[in-house]
Amino acid sequence: MTMDYLDKYRDGRHKSWKDLWIMKPIVVVTKVFNKTVVHRPVTVLYPYESLWEPDNYRGRPALDFNKCIGCGMCVRMCPCTAIILVDCPDDEGNNVERPQVNMGRCAFCGYCAEYCPEDAMTVTPIVELAEYTRSDLIYGPRRLAYDHTTEGMKVKLEETLISDYKAGNGEKRYLHSKIDRPELESSKCISCKKCFKVCPAKAIVMTEHGKNAKGRPILWPEINNETCVSCNNCVDACPKQALHMKEVL
Amino acid sequence: MTSYQSILDWINYPDPMINPYYPFGDIYNLPYDICYKLWEIIGGTIAWLINLIFPGNSVSTWLVCDMTTNFFALILFMVVIFLVVFVGVLISLWEERKVLGRAMDRRGTMIGMMGFLQCVADGFKTFMKDNIQTKKGDNMTYIWTVSLIIGTSMLIACMIPLSDRWFVVNYDTGLLIIMALYALAPFFILVSGWSQNNKYSLIGGIRAAEMMVAYEVPMLIIIATASLLAGSFNIGDIVQAQYDTMPYIIPMCIGFVTFFLCATAEAERSPFDLAEAESELVEGWQTEYAGMKWGLIMLADYMRGYVSCAMITILFLGGWDLPFIGDLNNVMPEIVFLLKTWFVFFLMIMLRCAVGRVRTDTILNLGWKVFMPLSIVNLMIVLILKVGGIF
Repeated sequence: MTMDYLDKYRDGRHKSWKDLWIMKPIVVVTKVFNKTVVHRPVTVLYPYESLWEPDNYRGRPALDFNKCIGCGMCVRMCPCTAIILVDCPDDEGNNVERPQVNMGRCAFCGYCAEYCPEDAMTVTPIVELAEYTRSDLIYGPRRLAYDHTTEGMKVKLEETLISDYKAGNGEKRYLHSKIDRPELESSKCISCKKCFKVCPAKAIVMTEHGKNAKGRPILWPEINNETCVSCNNCVDACPKQALHMKEVL
Repeated sequence: MTSYQSILDWINYPDPMINPYYPFGDIYNLPYDICYKLWEIIGGTIAWLINLIFPGNSVSTWLVCDMTTNFFALILFMVVIFLVVFVGVLISLWEERKVLGRAMDRRGTMIGMMGFLQCVADGFKTFMKDNIQTKKGDNMTYIWTVSLIIGTSMLIACMIPLSDRWFVVNYDTGLLIIMALYALAPFFILVSGWSQNNKYSLIGGIRAAEMMVAYEVPMLIIIATASLLAGSFNIGDIVQAQYDTMPYIIPMCIGFVTFFLCATAEAERSPFDLAEAESELVEGWQTEYAGMKWGLIMLADYMRGYVSCAMITILFLGGWDLPFIGDLNNVMPEIVFLLKTWFVFFLMIMLRCAVGRVRTDTILNLGWKVFMPLSIVNLMIVLILKVGGIF
C-alpha cells in the first residue's frame, strides 16, 4: 500500500526511486566545496595575476622594424584588412614601406605572423589593448615593436599540399615560397623591368636574351629561388600578365 | 541635592534593574544594560558640560534622572538590537556568496575584508539607482506592500532572542507571534504582484500564495510538536527544556528534515524561490521595484532566511546552549547562537547549490503528500515519547 502511495507521488519523470533522493547532488556539491576550500579554486584574480600563456599565444602582432622587408605579405593575407603599408623613414633616413596595424579591426588570427617570410612580424601575448579613442588603436610600424620576442612567437606557416599528399609525400611546407613561386611566361614579357623594381627581396635580375627587331636588348626577369619570398608583388605589377604564381612541385 | 564636582559625579554606572522604570520586569537584559550605560556616558557628559556653563541648572539633572535615562536607553536599545541583526544578516549574505562561489569552483566576492565589503558596495550601488515606477500600477499598494514586507521581516528578525539575556520581548507565546508575523509576507507578495500591473509580478505573487498553501501547515504542525515536547511556546523555555534533556534534533530527526525544507520555503530561498524565479519570471514579484526598494527587499529576503535558520536553531539545535559545558554557557551565548544560525544557513546554501528549483505542482505534491505525512509521523513519535515518560 505504501508503495502504491509513493508510486502515485512519482510523476512519471522519475523512473527509479533514486531519482527522488536529493542527497546525491548534495554530496557532489559538498565534495567540490571541500576540494575548493582546501585547494585554490580554478579561477585567478585577473588584474593581479594571470594565467600562463604559451609563446605562440595569439595576442597583438608585433613587428621587428629592421627585419621587415616591406613585402606586403601581411597586408595581402590579413582577413580583416587591418593592415596597410605606410611610408616611414628607417634608421638611416631612407623612405621605406612598413605595415601599420589597426587593432580595432584585428581579429588576432596571427596570419600576418605566419605568412611573414622574414619572421619580422610575430605574435605576442599582449591582449590588454584598451584605449580611449579608436584612432589610438592604430599601431604604427614603430609602435608595433616588442622587446621580448622569443622563438616560439615566430609562428610558422605549416601547410601540407593535397598534391603532395596524393603523391605519397606528407611533409609539411614551412614557408610560403616553398609552396608557390612566380614563373615567367616569356612570350608575353615586354622587358619593362617593373617586376625588378617592385621586388622587395631583390631576387629578380634582368638578364639579356638577344636583341629584338629594333636592336633593343630583350630582358627577361630571372628569379633567384633562394631569396624569393613569393610575395606576389611582381605578379601584381606585371602589365601583361606574364608572371604567374605556380605551385612548387 | 548632591554636589557635582567632576564628570565622574555625573557618570556612575548604576544597575539598570534598580531603575523603577526598567521595562523588562525582573529579567536581566544585556543590550538594555549596555545602552543604559552608554546613555550614562553620553547624557552624563552633556549634563556635565551644561553644568559647567550654567551651574546648578535643572536640565543637567533632568538628563540623568531615572525616567530620561530609561527613555534614551530604549532608543539606543532599538539601534543596538537592529545593528546586531543587520550585521548578522550581512555576514550571512557574505557567507552565501563565498560558499556558493567555492561550491561552484570559483572565489566569490573579493572586495575588501575577504569580500565582506561587497555588501556595503551593493548598498551604495542600489542607493544611487533611479527610482523607477510604473505609471499604470496601483501606487498605494505598490509602495505599502513592500514597506510591510520589509517592516515585518525586520520586526521578526529583531524579535528573535539571541540568548536568555538578549531579547526584545519575552512573551509566553513568542514562538507563535514570530511565526504569525512570518507567515504574513506571502499575502503582501500577492497584493504587490497584483498592484504592479505586470504579468511576471502577478505570476510571482500567485506562486507565493500557492506555495504558502503547501508548506505552512506541516511547518506549524512541527512547531506545535516541538512546543508540545517542551511544554511551552516561550522560546526561552524551549531552549531550557532542550538543555535539560537533549537537543530536539535527536527525537525529532524526521521533523528536522521536514522543518528545514519548510523553513527554506518560508524564506523563499532556492530551491523554493518560485515567487522570484529569476530564470523564468524576470524577478518574479520584484520585477518593477527599482533602486533602494529592491535593495531593501533583498535585505528583507536575507533577514527572513536568517529568521528561518534561527527558528531551526531554537527548535532543534538547542538554541544558545551547548551541551556538556555547564556554566560556560553563560559566557557568550549570543555568539554560540549566531554561529549555530550561520551553520544552518550554510546547510541551506548547500541545498541551494545542489538542487534545482521545484515546479509549482511539485511543491504542492511535496507539501501535502510528503511533508504533511512526515510531520504527522513526527508528531506520533513525539506523542509516544511524551506518553512513555521519556520527556
